[in-house]
Amino acid sequence: MSVSMQERLARIRINAFLYLRADWLARLIDIFGSAEEILKQNADTLAREAQMNPSTAAHFLRDAFAINPQEELEKTEKYGGRILIPEDEEYPQSLRQIKEAPIALYVLGKLPQPNQVCIGMVGTRKITPYGRRASTTLAEGLAQAGAVIVSGLARGIDSQCHAAAVRLNKPTVAVIGTGIGRCYPPENRELARAILQHGGAIVSELPFNKPPNAFHFPRRNRIIAALSELVVVVEGEAKSGALITAKLALEMGKDVLAVPGPIDSPQSQGPNRLIADGAGVVTCVKDIIDYISNPDLFALQVPQQPAQATQEQDGLTDLQKQVMQFIASAEEASADQVVEALHLSVPQAAEVLFELEVKGLLTSQAGLYSKSKF
Amino acid sequence: MLASVRTCALKGIDGFEVTTEVDISSGMPTLSVVGLPDAEVKESKERVIAAIRNSGFDFPLKRITVNLSPAELRKSGTQFDLPIAAGILAASGALSEEAVKKLKDLILLGELALDGTLRPCAGVLPMLIGVKNSQGTAVIAPDNFLEGQTAGLPFITPRTLRDLADWLEVKLPQESVQMAYVPPQEEEPAAVLDFSDVKGQAVAKRALEIAAAGGHNVLMIGLPGTGKSMLAKRFAGILPPLTEEESLEITKIYSVCNLLGKMKHRLHTRPFRDPHHTISEAALIGGGSNPRPGEVSLAHNGVLFLDEFAEFSRSTLEVLRQPLENGQVTISRAKETVTYPARFTLIAAMNPCPCGNLGNPHKPCTCTPMQIRRYQAKISGPLLDRIDLTVNLNPVAYGDWNKAAEGDTSAQIAARVLAARKRQQARFKGTATTANAFMTPKQIKQFCPLPAGADAILEAAMRKFGLSARSLDKVLKTARTIADLEGKDNIENAHLIEVLQYRPLDRKGVPDL
Repeated sequence: MSVSMQERLARIRINAFLYLRADWLARLIDIFGSAEEILKQNADTLAREAQMNPSTAAHFLRDAFAINPQEELEKTEKYGGRILIPEDEEYPQSLRQIKEAPIALYVLGKLPQPNQVCIGMVGTRKITPYGRRASTTLAEGLAQAGAVIVSGLARGIDSQCHAAAVRLNKPTVAVIGTGIGRCYPPENRELARAILQHGGAIVSELPFNKPPNAFHFPRRNRIIAALSELVVVVEGEAKSGALITAKLALEMGKDVLAVPGPIDSPQSQGPNRLIADGAGVVTCVKDIIDYISNPDLFALQVPQQPAQATQEQDGLTDLQKQVMQFIASAEEASADQVVEALHLSVPQAAEVLFELEVKGLLTSQAGLYSKSKF
Repeated sequence: MLASVRTCALKGIDGFEVTTEVDISSGMPTLSVVGLPDAEVKESKERVIAAIRNSGFDFPLKRITVNLSPAELRKSGTQFDLPIAAGILAASGALSEEAVKKLKDLILLGELALDGTLRPCAGVLPMLIGVKNSQGTAVIAPDNFLEGQTAGLPFITPRTLRDLADWLEVKLPQESVQMAYVPPQEEEPAAVLDFSDVKGQAVAKRALEIAAAGGHNVLMIGLPGTGKSMLAKRFAGILPPLTEEESLEITKIYSVCNLLGKMKHRLHTRPFRDPHHTISEAALIGGGSNPRPGEVSLAHNGVLFLDEFAEFSRSTLEVLRQPLENGQVTISRAKETVTYPARFTLIAAMNPCPCGNLGNPHKPCTCTPMQIRRYQAKISGPLLDRIDLTVNLNPVAYGDWNKAAEGDTSAQIAARVLAARKRQQARFKGTATTANAFMTPKQIKQFCPLPAGADAILEAAMRKFGLSARSLDKVLKTARTIADLEGKDNIENAHLIEVLQYRPLDRKGVPDL
C-alpha cells in the first residue's frame, strides 16, 4: 500500500507528540481516516470526536505543528537515513505486530533482514567487572554465531554489547532514547559511528533533534523488546530499565533470559530475581541459542567450545599467566596489588599489564584491572 | 632647610633605592608625603611625629614636605618611618653638621614605634640585596639582624631613634648599635617524614620519584584515606637539596611576605605549601591592589600541594596555567605590574568521584555517571596538559597493609633523584631548561628519539587508552626522566610503557572498538 507524501509528512507531525502512546495515535488515525485529516481538525472537534481531554488535544496540535516534517525528512536523508511508517515494506514486521508500534521510525543504517535473528541484550549503566566480562563474552559469541545484538546504546552493558559486535565486524542495532541527530551519552559518538560502519543500524521513534529525557528511555525499551526474538538481561538493579524491557518482552510473549550473578551484588539483583520468577538461566552462548524458537531459519553457527576460552591465554609468558591468574582470583586488582602479590618492580608490572591490556585480555577502569572475558 | 636620606622600597621581590627628601619651610605646620606613597606610608606621619617627640626632640612646627624619589614608582611598606624621621631631624637642625654628613652614608630601613623604638619590617633582605652595590651602611631594626647578615653588606642595628641620633653624634660607641655576628644555623635535620612511612602504594611512590627527578607535575586520584596527603608531604624530602641561589630566592620571597621570622637566616628546605581549596585567585597566584606574592610563589622551588583538586573553583585552577608554563606569575594592576617567581612542582590530589567511593571494593559509589563526568571534567584539558603523571591510589586492605612493603627510604630515593638531575644538568648545560619537564619542542626532538618498535606501542596506546597526539610530548618527556633514573642514554620501549601506566583519565569508560 503506498502512502502519499502529504500523509507521510502528516504522520511525522503527529509522531512528534510524545504524550500520547503510539496506539492512541494509531486510534486517532483510524477515527479520522488519515493523519492528514487529523491535522485539519481544530482542538475542539479533535477532543469531541476522539474523546480526548481538550487541553491534550490543543497540546497535541501545537506539538504537531511545531515541527517541520519536510526538514525532518531532509535532515534524516542528509545523514543517510529514512523515516519509516508501518505501511513501508522495510518497516520491521516484528515491530508492526506490537500494540504500540511507532507511528514513524527514524532509521540510520541497515535494519536486520528476516533471515537474521535479533537478540536483545540489556543491562545496567553501572557495570561491574563481572557484567563487563559476561556481556562481552556473550555478545561476542552471539555475534559470531550470526545473531544481531539489539540494545540501547546506553553506558555500561549496552555499550559493551554493541562494541563486542562492532569489534567482530558484525551488525548490531541500537535503539536510542534521543532523536537520531543526537548522541547520548556523548562519549558513545564513536561507537555509534562504528555501528553504522559495520552494517548495523541506529533506530529511534523520536523527532530528529530530540534531546534525551528520562521518559524517552522506558518508551524506547518496547522497541528493543519488539525487535528482539528474546531478551537477555545481563545485569540490572532491582528497579531498572533492563527490567522494564524484560517485562515488556514478556508481555509481548517473548522469552526473557537472565545472567545469574552474585547475590550480594546490587547489579545482579535484577537478573537473579528474574531467574527466581522463572526466566531462563544463561551460562553460555548456547543457552541463549537454545531458546531461539526456529533456529533452522537463521543458519546459526552454534559455538562448540565451552565458555572458558582458554586458547587465548596460550601464547602468554609465565609471568603474564601469573598476573592473569592473580587478577582472576582477586576479581579486580590495582597495579599496586600486582606489584605486591608477585613481587615485581613497578616498571615490570607496568609492562605486563600493558601487554595484557593491549591483547584485550584485561580492561582497566579507574586504575583497577579486571579480566575482560571469561 | 633641606635634607636627603637614603632608603629602599620593593618592586615585586626586588629592592631599589629610594631617596627621601625632606624640606622644612615656614608656613602652616603640616607634614605631607608625596611620591606615590601607599596607605601605610601616609600613616607613617603620625608615627614619625610621636616618635620624634618621645625621643626627646622637638618636632618642628613648620611646613614639612617629604618627597620619595623616584616619584613615579609606588612605595609601600612601613620601612619609611625611620628615614622620614631622620630626614626631619637633619633638616630641622636637631642634628649637628657632622652627624648629617654621617647620615648621608646610611641606608635607613625601619618602622618606628610611638616611643621611638625601631621595629622590624617586611622585605628587608630583598631590599638590602637590591642596594648592595651602592656604597653605604644599612640601618635596620635589631629584629631584622639575621636578614641583614644574609644580605651581606655592612649594617648597624640601633634599638631606638634616639640611639641612632646619639651614635651619629658619636655619643654612643659603635658596639652599642652593632650586634655580634651570629653564625648561620646548622642545616635543619633531614625531614622527619619519610617515604618508608607509607606502606604499599608502590606505583604512586614510583610516580613521585619520577616527578622529583624530572620536575614533572603529578595528579593523584584516589579514595579518601589512601595516603595522598601523606605522600605529598613527603615529596619535598626527595627533591634534590636547594642550591645557594635557590635558597636565596625563596628566602627573599618569604622576607617580602614577612614569613621569615627573626630566627632564620634563610630557608634550607624546599617549601611545601598546601592551601585550602576555598583559596581565592589572588591568594593563590598573588595580587591585591598592592601586589603580594601568592601561594604559587611561596611554593617557588618547592611543592604546591592542592588537595581536593576538583573542589577548587574553576577560575582559580585556570590561573595556575601561566605559572605552570613559565615558572613565574605576572600580576598587572591599574597602578603597576609585578612579576614573582613561581617555579614549583604541582602535586594535585582528588577523589575519583564526588562521593569518593568510586572503585572502593567495600562501599558502593552513589554518584551518577553524569556527576562523575562533570566532577572529572572540572580539571580542564589545558591544565591536564601540564600534568605529566596521573596515578590512581587504591585502598590497601588490612591484610595487605600488614604485609605491604615499606619500600625505599626518602634518602635512598633522593640519591637516585639527584643522580638523574645531574644527568639532566649535564644535558641542558648552557640552556635555560633545568629539567626534563621544561624541555622545548626542539629539545624533545633532539633528546628523545623514539626507539625501534615504539610506534607499535604508541599506536596501541592511542587505540586502547585514547592517548592523544597532543599528550605525546608529555609521554616523551616523562620517558626521558625514567631513562635518566636508570642511567640510560636513550629512551627504551619499557620506559614508554611505564609512562603509559601513568596516563590520565581520558577513557571515560568507553569500551574498545
